[in-house]
Amino acid sequence: MATPLIEKILGAPAGTVVSFQPDWLLVTNGVAHQAVLEAQNVAQPAKVQLYFDHNVPTGDPEASHVFDILRDFAKKYGIAFHQALGSAYECLLHIVQPGQILVGGGFHASILGAAGALGIDVSPLELARILESGSYQVVVPETLTVRIQGTLPEGISSMDAALQFLTENKDISGKMLQIIAPQWNLHQKSVFCSMVCGTGAFSAICTDAGTPDRVLKLDGCGAMAVGPCGRRENQKTAPIFPVSQLRGRSVEAGQIGGYTGGTIEDLRRADHLIQGKQLAKGFRLSVCPATSADYIKAMEEGIIEHFIDYGAQIQAAGDRSEVRQGAGVIGRGETLVTTGLYTYAGCMGVPDSSVYTASVETVIRASWTKSL
Amino acid sequence: MEKVFSGRIWTFGNDIDTDTIIPGKRGTIPTIEEMKKYAFELLKPEFGSTVRPGDILVAGSNFGCGSSREQAATVLSHNGVRCIIAKSFARIFFRNAFNSGIILLTCDGIQDVVKGGDIVTVDLEQHKVSANGKEFPVGAIPQNLFDIVAHGGLIADTKRRLAGGFQPEPHKELDDRERRRKGFTLAEKILRKNAGVEQVKPGDIVISHPDMFMIHDIYTPYLLDTLHQIGAKKIFAPDRVTIVFDHCMPTAVAKNDSAHYDAGLELAKEYGIEKLHIGEGICHSLMHEKKYARPGCVATATDSHTTTYGGAGCFCSGIGTAEMAAALITGELWFKIPEAIKIVLNGHLPKGVLSKDVILKILGDIKADGGQYKSLEFTGPAAHEMSMDARFTVANMALEAGAKCGLFEADQKTADYYGVPLSEIDWVTMDEEAQYEKVLTYDVNELEPQLSCPQGVDNVHPIREVEGTPMDEVYLGSCTNGSIEDLAIAAEILKGKHVPETMRFIVVPATNAVFKEAIRRGYIRTFIEAGAVICHPCCGLCCGMPYGLMYDDERILSTANRNFIGRQGTKKTLSYLCSPAVAAATALTGVVTDPRKL
Repeated sequence: MATPLIEKILGAPAGTVVSFQPDWLLVTNGVAHQAVLEAQNVAQPAKVQLYFDHNVPTGDPEASHVFDILRDFAKKYGIAFHQALGSAYECLLHIVQPGQILVGGGFHASILGAAGALGIDVSPLELARILESGSYQVVVPETLTVRIQGTLPEGISSMDAALQFLTENKDISGKMLQIIAPQWNLHQKSVFCSMVCGTGAFSAICTDAGTPDRVLKLDGCGAMAVGPCGRRENQKTAPIFPVSQLRGRSVEAGQIGGYTGGTIEDLRRADHLIQGKQLAKGFRLSVCPATSADYIKAMEEGIIEHFIDYGAQIQAAGDRSEVRQGAGVIGRGETLVTTGLYTYAGCMGVPDSSVYTASVETVIRASWTKSL
Repeated sequence: MEKVFSGRIWTFGNDIDTDTIIPGKRGTIPTIEEMKKYAFELLKPEFGSTVRPGDILVAGSNFGCGSSREQAATVLSHNGVRCIIAKSFARIFFRNAFNSGIILLTCDGIQDVVKGGDIVTVDLEQHKVSANGKEFPVGAIPQNLFDIVAHGGLIADTKRRLAGGFQPEPHKELDDRERRRKGFTLAEKILRKNAGVEQVKPGDIVISHPDMFMIHDIYTPYLLDTLHQIGAKKIFAPDRVTIVFDHCMPTAVAKNDSAHYDAGLELAKEYGIEKLHIGEGICHSLMHEKKYARPGCVATATDSHTTTYGGAGCFCSGIGTAEMAAALITGELWFKIPEAIKIVLNGHLPKGVLSKDVILKILGDIKADGGQYKSLEFTGPAAHEMSMDARFTVANMALEAGAKCGLFEADQKTADYYGVPLSEIDWVTMDEEAQYEKVLTYDVNELEPQLSCPQGVDNVHPIREVEGTPMDEVYLGSCTNGSIEDLAIAAEILKGKHVPETMRFIVVPATNAVFKEAIRRGYIRTFIEAGAVICHPCCGLCCGMPYGLMYDDERILSTANRNFIGRQGTKKTLSYLCSPAVAAATALTGVVTDPRKL
């Protein structure tokens, strides 16, 4: 049996404690900015990337203060500082190289597995220590290899497939997922990798061949949605439903955006779906390109204009999975269906609202009828 | 109603704006009872919790300047304030306060002898106020306004009129020959034509029949509630009403905005209003873009910057929610014929100097109350050389001088913009026989870019005095400077260049049509490649919504129309206003930069 990719990258078998120096350290203003308040030094500034990619443009003065903190930290240590580029994960997905390691202070570094890189999430405090030392220590996790078999049915996406996988595999917490999906493009892999670690897997990484421990049959997948989950700490245990079970549920707002719904591939798909359709009166649709590059491509292809004519609101490029104050939020008693990654109470507005995560297809279909 | 009463005094200075009375960020709280707690929260945080029924405010000049938000009056009314004594009042607040049942008295002198907590006695019959053993005369209250207060405010007054079997008066506008009669200012010409009154002079009250009413989404819940309070089952002319979702759309303040959205939909449905624009852009830009506000016509809206369409020779002025409700029901709206100031713009604007610089220069000269309840009327070669977009910019900001309206003459450009023969609108021109309170003359050849500096629109300085000031954020947009012409000016400066990595540059086209045209012309691409963030057309940060709010001591340079304390961030945020050319040049360098030097 071939050595799992993570064991090759970290140079040690599962169960071994290893110290390594990440190739990349990622700090964003999602939650990881707290790391820069802790860090007293930066050992290897050239490896650090600071992205201001949440809360763009700033929805409150405190967010602006965070911008200042990150900017000043970057200046002090000579670190690359990025803003107005869109989602850091999506930008880095096209920069990291297979076999590289990125450690970030967020929750979805696994997306980089789509490019054959190892993305590891740590807490802001851990990230601060890594910034100071340049190294990190981890117990190499056990790998679970999964073959993605077949092709996605019409209207079903790799997000649905990831959610289907999570409903069928409850024992993956702490494990490294090695995904064999040669038939998928980078975008499909990235959505799958970012979603499939939502219940606690260590990370995910894609490869083209190998011997699987498990198989996910795509022809058995249907539209899926993650339901509301109460507190943020409960996100990993948020309920997952077939959309068919939610059919007819009233929805006031929809959002496609971020790296799981706002890439050019997603925007093209959504554009195709709105052709000849009308936005339901009383439904608010936000379209948030994942990156400024996606925004430009969508403009050049006429997609942004189509969305404007459809009645959608085009938001700034960035990571918009959590927006407590800013464009696209929902109010008391309202329900939002989004391609974003969070469904806890208040993640997209007031606490007494409801959020579902679902695919681009499900969001756009909801925009026709104002219901799931 | 009592004609003699006493109350405990709260003192205030000059230029107390509506943002200070109730901050913009509190303006979308759905109920006045909740909102009233935040009255004066930035200036006198204790006010909301300690004000008592019957208290009286004593202030300096220009009290209530700024936006049209009726809540500035209603939060005071709901807090029990029954009377405000000031040297002068801003015009929309003046109407709103009476409509809310508050007596306003103009008085110059009492301010020097009282302090907070003193007791003042008001004698309406004797036209005097007294405090600390001294008496001061006060101005008389127009009878129609006194009646509104005596009847318990405009809502009660309108209910009373309806209960009395109100029927709209037959209305006939002046014919073409009569509207061409000379000897009138632009405001007089349009108001007399609309009201069907042959002879008018400043100070006369005329009953107009507005050709278009506009409500934006800040006020949809309050307007709907007011119409329900009055018991209105229908409105006078639904086809003359436009609803625009632009301040709260995209919904951005979670606890409030969806209520405004829902109320807008309900308002449209219940009263048969079909001109409904949801997230299509800023109301004032749409009003002329959609040709709803037309030359020679009268338009009104629940917003202070309603003056914008004066760029096309439309008499347009903002009103509050209660007044809008009453006007929608009756189809009538009273106006006092304003005094007028003629502003002659000679010469030609140099490259890099724009119409925004012209109006900022004027504001700096005449100050925030220099046009109080007046019609500012623009003419001269430079006025006629201005594009329609440039004229709308000037008219938009005429309000910041307290003006009732800011009017341009209708000319061939106006006719072309509206697709009408010039002969249809060429009566909207100035004539020598008209009586102006004064004439201001500017030679724009020598004008340089101007900036309004913290914290007041009329704190205007030429760019040479501000050049080099570091900026943290630049905002290009608003109904003042979010047109395709404005974006073109900025794009030309930014083409192929990039702003500093730490500069936040936010671009918000004024309307969907502007947005799409900017995409087609490549401007949006230019901005994104330069490092900008693009937001969907909306009012955005201009009205303090969460589209780039700033922290203490940060500096923002904006093409918007107001830099009141706290409007674009905290009360310590430093806010500057400028033209799109200065904005683009500054975004590029990170410090205030003269576009003529690039």
